[in-house]
Amino acid sequence: MEKKPEWLKVSYNKEAVEEVTGLMAKLKLNTVCKEANCPNLGECYKKRTATFMILGSICTRHCRFCNVSSGVVETVDPKEPQHLAEAVKELDLKHVVITSVTRDDLEDGGAKHFADTINAVRVLNPGVSIEVLIPDLQGVEEHLDIVIAANPDVINHNVETVREFYPEVRPEADYDRSIAVLEYVKRKAPHIKTKTGIMVGLGETDEQVFKVMDDSLNVGCDIFTIGQYLQPSPKHIAVKAYVTPEKFAEYKKIGEAKGFHYIASSPLVRSSYRAEEALEGGKS
Amino acid sequence: MKKNIQMPKLSEQMETGVLAAWNKEAGDVVKKGEVLFEIETEKVVSEVESMESGVLEAVFFEAGDEIKVDEIIAVIKCD
Repeated sequence: MEKKPEWLKVSYNKEAVEEVTGLMAKLKLNTVCKEANCPNLGECYKKRTATFMILGSICTRHCRFCNVSSGVVETVDPKEPQHLAEAVKELDLKHVVITSVTRDDLEDGGAKHFADTINAVRVLNPGVSIEVLIPDLQGVEEHLDIVIAANPDVINHNVETVREFYPEVRPEADYDRSIAVLEYVKRKAPHIKTKTGIMVGLGETDEQVFKVMDDSLNVGCDIFTIGQYLQPSPKHIAVKAYVTPEKFAEYKKIGEAKGFHYIASSPLVRSSYRAEEALEGGKS
Repeated sequence: MKKNIQMPKLSEQMETGVLAAWNKEAGDVVKKGEVLFEIETEKVVSEVESMESGVLEAVFFEAGDEIKVDEIIAVIKCD
């Protein structure tokens, strides 16, 4: 195993992890924290926060960076929206992030389930801000409309990497389609904050990173996140470089100068990491 | 009372981890919540907090060892 740089250090508290894991198991909920083997799981669970992953734990796509399993998908649990709303209440969250596996097998890509979940959270937890991190829904506008109509505070759709790496990193996705998703959401509902993010460390150049920033800004994107790609297992695409904290700080400075309302950029940033802070920052 | 400290399972797929460093030595006083040791896994290095307060009585592995999940790596004599 390659030695990690000093800045890739996280804390782990067994009791805190087991408490949140137990709650999720009781309510039959998945978190992307666990399924993606997120490095921040220990910190977030200790703060009693998590990013929920709806529509099952099996994805219909095969992105080469992602630790979420692919294969035969599960039946959608109609009780999931209610259970998730109950977990938000039990964890006393003020801001909830809900993502999903990609469900290209479903007619609406899971859009209605997203909307049902947003609505259930809102009914049981008035005042809680809601962020959804959605798949591209194959760019189908009427499916995006279903999510938009549920009126979450933030719609995030991650571009994930620079355009040039799509064939290798996200073979079933399309860079332009992802940018178009962000464009459509902002055009249809300007009051909803839009958010996207990328991983670095796959060998991209600064110019390619800045191009993603420009493309996102051109479609009115409010919040941008940049974090280090970390290889979940030897089967996944390899890390080309551990980007230094100084370089992340430079990306943040340049991105803010370009015009984003908020940029989170550091090695362990993930799109939902400290998302509440990003929303507050994005309001300015 | 003595408590065995096991190699934690830091992710679903984890079968082994590399002991990156001890933050305490045998004979040291340990407080609950203090970092006891560091484990290197595929993605990061995790600083594992002690769940017990007491004296670290014995350690069975050294930095650099690859250890199976649940294997006993140390013993704490609890307060």
